[in-house]
Amino acid sequence: MTQRLDAIRECLEGAVPGIMATCAADGTPNVAYLSQTEYVDGRHIALSYQFFNTTRRNILENPEARLIVTHPHTGERFRLRLRYLRTETAGPLFERMKAKLAGIASHTGMSGVFRLLGSDIYRVSEIERIPGAALAPPPPRASLLAALRAVSARIACCRELDLLFAETLAGLEAQFDIRHAMVLLLDGSGSRLYTIASRGYEASGVGSEIPLGQGVIGVAAREGTPIRIGYATLEYAYGRAIRAATEASGLADALETEIPLPGLADSASQLAVPIRAAGRLLGVLYVESPHNLRFGYDDEDALVALAGQLGAATLALQQASELQEEVLVPEPPPQSSAGRPVVVRHYAGDDSVFLDDDYLIKGVAGSIFWALVRDHVDTGRSTFSNRELRLDPRIRLPDLSDNLEARLILLRRRLNEREACVRLEKAGRGRLLLTASRPLTLVEAGQGGARADGAGC
Amino acid sequence: MPDQPPSVPSAAPESPIDAEHAAFIATAGASISVGSSSADLLPSITRGIGCRIAPDRSRISVFVAADQARELLDDVRATRRIAVVFSEPHSHRTLQIKGRDAVVESLEPGDRERIERYRTAFTAELGAIGFGPLFTHALIDSGGGDVVALAFTPCAAFDQTPGPRAGEPLANAK
Repeated sequence: MTQRLDAIRECLEGAVPGIMATCAADGTPNVAYLSQTEYVDGRHIALSYQFFNTTRRNILENPEARLIVTHPHTGERFRLRLRYLRTETAGPLFERMKAKLAGIASHTGMSGVFRLLGSDIYRVSEIERIPGAALAPPPPRASLLAALRAVSARIACCRELDLLFAETLAGLEAQFDIRHAMVLLLDGSGSRLYTIASRGYEASGVGSEIPLGQGVIGVAAREGTPIRIGYATLEYAYGRAIRAATEASGLADALETEIPLPGLADSASQLAVPIRAAGRLLGVLYVESPHNLRFGYDDEDALVALAGQLGAATLALQQASELQEEVLVPEPPPQSSAGRPVVVRHYAGDDSVFLDDDYLIKGVAGSIFWALVRDHVDTGRSTFSNRELRLDPRIRLPDLSDNLEARLILLRRRLNEREACVRLEKAGRGRLLLTASRPLTLVEAGQGGARADGAGC
Repeated sequence: MPDQPPSVPSAAPESPIDAEHAAFIATAGASISVGSSSADLLPSITRGIGCRIAPDRSRISVFVAADQARELLDDVRATRRIAVVFSEPHSHRTLQIKGRDAVVESLEPGDRERIERYRTAFTAELGAIGFGPLFTHALIDSGGGDVVALAFTPCAAFDQTPGPRAGEPLANAK
């Protein structure tokens, strides 16, 4: 075998359907067109099992098969000798194929017809290039290795978490020509992801959430595997997924849609890559494009490598921020704030916070904000240390993996984007400065009744 | 017939293919794939580059490039088994026809023209879904080598258009 399977992965993308021959125990041959072929590793491919058809019956009787795949640009054909090994009906490979198949079905008008029952895994024992003409391949769009190297270098220079995310997204645009991307982090509860940074959208969507298992992003996180689709499909559209989840869980989660997820209305190609470090999931790097089949196997490999770097850097910067010696800075003199007081309302049930009637944030970031403004109003303090926040019993950091630094980034961005009268700024290492341009009136709503703290600042 | 599994029908006295199927096979620019199997049950496959169907539909001949189909030709000579699929990309309409008496033959007068007509029709068909003519020509390029005909009596035919009827014999699918 001279031809390597990984070198012809593009042929498995399905632009030209694969054709497969099997034969029954009595020798009767059967030919089938395949809507989906998936590269598994250098020696294995997976085919979609969608119907109990003759092919299925045959491979259960006689595992031998032959498959012809076609290069989408050169027209070169390769004949593979296959042997059926097993079928997977759950797990990363199955979920990857299920999402991709949903895109294929949608693109080919087969939604509702194509449905993945299993991923049939085959060992590839021979690959033969079929003699015949071939077109010249198109020049590569860019060297993905060079792009990866350049973005890696930018990542390695980052000393702050918010800068790390911004640089990664800027690098994706500059080096990979990926213009629509976001980073989402896993909530400490492990049940949802929240958007911490985005690029290429009208509204940043920072603070928007998506439940684990929903849409391309949620499935990538739940299964810990990249999910890549080449055509738009409603089945995995995250806007729809979010709405459905919200409706299913009733009013309690209505705030989840308060901050809309960023996203392209005409998204066609989507790729969600888990960000992992130290053996656990930190979040998801998500990219999309309005063009069909924009991301191939090589793009996926490059972004998986990049997500590895991003994960390691995220973890390192998070840990560094927690170990940082705080530098004491003097408390600034109290500043006078003027104008009509703004009502800061906190709901203890979900730690949601509203400034007048505008929703700001909920969850851990909400509890941080509430603790800060309480202290600010009660004691006149304006500077706070990360360390005291981390130890503050009022702030419910679910566990160590829910990073305070990331929550502060989220909170700071939300305040800036809302052009709120309260802002949080960095005040030296490990310290924060809270400023309020208007007097704050605090109202604790829910759980034992409202509590009003009228105070100027 | 009803008592037998669909993949092993008894020899039908009449062709399982009606005139409309025959027209589809002979003139639509459908993608053609040909399968066979060896005596020790190893399947083989190649792409067809045209076909001829007898006026009474009792015989179908599928053209293949010999040097792209060495194993398949060996298998057909040894076992005479054949399965041919015609699939129209834009509509997904797909038929599979099977035979048990396939033989490898030389082209007849008129077959070169049939191959050329197929090339034109298939190029138009793939053009409609976005593939350029050069790509399609590469896909069915015979490399300038020998082209042979695989001639067989259709003994079973199935609708394989994706959907609930996929796999049903054509008579039932109508």
